[in-house]
Parts: sequence; structure tokens; C-alpha cells
Amino acid sequence: MTTFSRLTVLFALAGAFAVAQPLPKAETILDRYNEVTGGKAAYQKHTQEIMTGTISFPAQGLGGKLTRYALAPNNEYSALELGPIGKIESGFTNGVAWEKSSIMGPRVKSGDEKDQAAREALFDAQVDWRKIFPKAETLGSEAVNGEDCYKVLLTPPTGKPETRFYSKKTGLLLKTTTTAISPMGEVAVEVEVSDYKTFDGVLFPTQSKSKMGAQQMNMVITNVSFDQPAPAGTFDLPPEIKTMVDKAAGK
Amino acid sequence: MQPTKSRAGNGVASNPARWAVALILFASPVFAQLIPQQKQSNLASFESVWSTIRDKHWETKPGGLDWEAIHAEYRPRVEAATSTEAARAIMREMIGRLKQTHFAIFPAAVYQVLDADGGGDGWPGFDVRVLDGRVIVTEVRQPQSNIKTGWEVLKSNGTDLAPLVTKLQADPAIHELQLERAVTARLSGQVGATRSMVFADQNNARVSLDVKLQQPRGQLSGFGNLPPQPVWFESKKLGNTGYIRFNIFLDLVHIMQQFGDAVQQCAHCDGMIIDLRGNPGGIGAMAMGMAGWLVKQTGERLGVMHMRGATLNFFINPRAEAFEGSVAILVDGSSASTSEIFAGGLKDLGRARIFGTRTAAAALPSVITRLPNGDGFQYAVANYISQGGKPLEGNGVVPDVEVKLSREALLAGHDTVLDAALDWIGKQKVSQ
Repeated sequence: MTTFSRLTVLFALAGAFAVAQPLPKAETILDRYNEVTGGKAAYQKHTQEIMTGTISFPAQGLGGKLTRYALAPNNEYSALELGPIGKIESGFTNGVAWEKSSIMGPRVKSGDEKDQAAREALFDAQVDWRKIFPKAETLGSEAVNGEDCYKVLLTPPTGKPETRFYSKKTGLLLKTTTTAISPMGEVAVEVEVSDYKTFDGVLFPTQSKSKMGAQQMNMVITNVSFDQPAPAGTFDLPPEIKTMVDKAAGK
Repeated sequence: MQPTKSRAGNGVASNPARWAVALILFASPVFAQLIPQQKQSNLASFESVWSTIRDKHWETKPGGLDWEAIHAEYRPRVEAATSTEAARAIMREMIGRLKQTHFAIFPAAVYQVLDADGGGDGWPGFDVRVLDGRVIVTEVRQPQSNIKTGWEVLKSNGTDLAPLVTKLQADPAIHELQLERAVTARLSGQVGATRSMVFADQNNARVSLDVKLQQPRGQLSGFGNLPPQPVWFESKKLGNTGYIRFNIFLDLVHIMQQFGDAVQQCAHCDGMIIDLRGNPGGIGAMAMGMAGWLVKQTGERLGVMHMRGATLNFFINPRAEAFEGSVAILVDGSSASTSEIFAGGLKDLGRARIFGTRTAAAALPSVITRLPNGDGFQYAVANYISQGGKPLEGNGVVPDVEVKLSREALLAGHDTVLDAALDWIGKQKVSQ
């Protein structure tokens, strides 16, 4: 065997050895993310969160502002004011997931769409990820914009799984692919996040670029504040939604 | 189709600019040799058309064709083309292989016919439709004007309209909506400017009037990259029947509010008429929202839109106060896009009866760009299947009751389409 051949075999074996390196368990990757973004204590220190930002659809030339209020353990209210489309509100309170817009009017969510809203409303979803994803597995490695990532598949009890990509180097989440569920159908969504910034001890990605079919949507988080009380009634069901819920309950 | 000699003659004589256009369109030297730059711009145009369809068509295999093989077949032919007309014909043949409408190439010169001379938002205070090849006044919004519904507009600023209509109607790539826009553009201009118009009155006597152009009806409203458009909404009661009309599906917040208010104010009406004649569409989601005011059952949808990478249901979210009486929708060849999605879906669901003439069959979102050689290229980016299972593209919405407007009826003060819908609603009430 020539020196060249020996080197080739050696490199080949080294490559095989590298490939054979066991991937970290998904729970290790997810817990690492919690650690590098502030740690469990920093997350659990808070019970209320107010997030503000901007949203844009560059191809359509549309833009607006986003406000999200969250209250532990699982209350959520979001308002998106999107220029000529008007205000789109959604929320989750007392097990009711709802949406209201100028176009479609009030609507109570059900099925997988409701379950997805419930998962998103869970205040400690990040640290308590085991509560919402009973199954998590590392699928392999894949680069996101040139950065090596672990690819992790998270499966909820109902609805669609999501795949997350965590940087091997920093432990930060760089991309998520999932399926958005609405009465308009199921649409594959790819979200790339970046520009992590610290807000009261917790590191948040402040920019996201989402692709949904042919649509692209960009979001910029301008501020995250904790434990500032939301305006009174923020988490109350809107009257129209309450009427619908009461009617469905036979009240 | 060539214009008749007499009409063409009048047009040429009265407007040298149109004469020049006619020369470009009909007298281009077919055998002229292309200079290298022209050849290059035709090739660039071919690549633009081919790659746009490859990248934007809702099917990854456009029209079921091997699109790479299409490139290999057609590029050498465009390279060998000896004129821009020949290159365009080859590109038209290529997109014709898709066997889908809304893929078209307009010669650069056609833009000179389609575009308004002068442009501007100024409006003459009346609406027109092309009926049997003639430009007829269908509504007058300027009470002090001497102009009456049913009059024919013969000339505007010296240009005969009949040859323009004839020429545009002869081009299969130009549908009724574009035709009416082209005609309307000839009657428009800068606000405050005056247009000299010649009409044929109820006795077919020629009436010459200087018409001062006024602000367009409605409020300007934009939507993202779409330039602001005038938007208006009207609702009223005709006896005990509600009547709703709006010119475009835009200004979402206000129009949705007004639509909802109009429906609720008519909760006990015998029926509801929604007049979408001349409505070119707009924001597709508004069709879903409006349908929610007319449909009580949950789980219904107007249709499905197929795009590359996504399929979207046009679902209906029933409002608690949805109208339960008879619904008639009025359409014509200028009812397009969202108007067709709305009318076609409600027809398929058996919720509305459609009156008028077949719609524009232009329900797909399509985009028009300019090619390197100056031609226009229109292409669709999605397919829309109405709830009945048929694509609206190329089919349009066929009315349940076909009724045409006529000049005679308009002169007598009748809107035959509206009358038919009112008659039907009256009979529905009796049968109930």
C-alpha cells in the first residue's frame, strides 16, 4: 500500500469515525438552548410578558405592527394591525382559542388549530417543552445558512410535528419548519430566526423571516418587557366570542 | 379582424397618432432583417418568458409539459427568427402549448392602444359599457349633465371609438374587461380638463358636448404595491329588496364594514341583490368575508386556490347575523377575479342566483410585466377551482339567467339585468 493509499484509507476511516459520532439526544439540545438563552431560572422568574414589533410582507409592500401579551400559565392575546387589512386579533383564554378580523369576523378555533394555539399560549413552553412535545428526536445534522445545526423533530400529542435546527456552535435555534393549520388549509412554514438580544436576562431572537408557500413575511421584535401588567380586560374573551362560546355550550 | 374601411378611414383621418399606431400594428415590414440588438432583446424576452413560467407556474411541470424540452425546442427557433413579429409568434406558440388562459404576449404597440392618451384620474361623470360593439352610457352620476343613459358615445377628443372597439375586440388576447378599460381611458384624463365628446342621443341625433372631467367617484385606497384606486360603495332598498354595489374589492376595512351594515339593515328584506357588474376584483379574502354574511352553514367554502407549495381553501366563516333570504348577484364580462370567486362560489353552493352575462374568466392572480423587447407578458401564478369543481379560469361564471343590457331598454329607463333579479326575488317571496 502506498503512502497516498494509506492516507486515503486513514482519512476515510477518520470520516467514518466522524460520521459514527453519536448525535446528542434531542433533550440535551433543547435543554442547552434553555441554558444559553438565560437558564430555567431566568425564564421562570416572570409571569407576564409584553412583546412589540413590526411585521412586513415585502413582495406585497404591506407592513404593520404586532403586540402580544402573555400571562402565565396559558393566557395569550395578540393584535396585528396590518395597514389596509385592518386589525387581526387572536387569543387563548380559559381553554378557548379565538380569532377576530375585519374580513372574517369572530371565530372560535377547534381541533388541531385549537391545540396548536394552546401550545403557543403556554407561558413556559420553552422550559416546559416536555409538556407539549412528548416525543423529541435528533434526526441528524444540517447546515442553515452555512452554519452546522442539529436537526430535531418535535412531535406534539395532536397536530403536526415541527422540525427545529439548533446551531452546534452556539446552541441557538436558527430555523423551524412546521405546518400552519387554519380553515384555509395546512401550509408548510419555514421560519429563520436571527439577531438574538437579551431582555431582562433572557435571550430572544428579534428577527424572523418566514416562508409560507409563495409568501414571505418578516418580523422584527422591537421590545420585550416582563411583569408589566397588561391593560385591564386584555385576556377577556371579546363579547362576540363569548356569545359564540355560550351558545355552543347551550347557555 | 380588420376594422371596416369606413370606420378605419375616419379614425386615421381624425387622429394622426392612431394612424401611426395602425401602421405599426398592420404595416410593419414582415421581412425586415433584425439588427443584432433586436435579436438579442427577443432572445432575452424568450428567456424571460420561459424562466418565469418555469419558476412561477403553480405546477412544477407547467401544463404537464417537459419545460426543459420546450426550451430546447423553441430557443433555436427564436434565434432564427427574422423579425420581432416572428419571434413573438414563436413565443406565443410556446405559451399556447400550456393550453391555459392568462398567458399572453401583447405587442408593444398594443400598449399604445390600451393606454389612455394623456392618462389621469379625471372622470366624465358617467359610466359606459360596450354593448354590441357600441359604447353606451349606462349610468349618469352628474345630474346637471344633459347626457342620458342609453346614449352612444361616438367620439372623444376627435377619436372615433367604434374603430378602437373593433380593433380590440378582434384580438383574442384582450377580454371584455381590458376592452372596457381601454374605452374608459379614452373618456378620462386630467381632473379639470375638458373632453370634446360626440354622442348619439335617443333619436340617434349627434350631440356635441364639452365634458369637464371631475374627481373620480369614491375615496382613493391602496393596498401594498398596488397604486391607490378610487373605491366607492352604495347600498339602498328597492322596495323591500336590498341592493348593494361597490366598484372594487379594496379599502377592506371600510367596505367590509359597510357590507356588514347593509346586510344587517336588511335582515327582513325579501331578498338581496349584489351588483358586481364592472367590478374587476381585488383582495380575494374579501370574497370569503362577504360570503360569511350570506351563508349560515358552517364548514362551507367558495373554492380552492392552488399555488406552488400551498393550497388554500376559500372558507366561509358564517356570521351570527347572516342574511337568510334570497340572494341575486349581477355580473357581466367585466366582473373578474374576486367578483368571480364570490359569485361562482355562492352559485355552486346554491346560495345565490346569478343574472347577467358570463364573467371575464379571469379569476387567477396574474401578473403583467414588460419584456426586454417592449412586449407585455401576462402570466398566472395560481389556479382557482370553484366549489362546483370547475376552474373559473377560462370558464368564468355562467349566469343562471342570461340577461343582456340593451341600449333600447336603457333609453327607456330600464336596467334589464336588475329587473330580472327583482322579478325573481318577487316570485321567490310569493312561492314562500
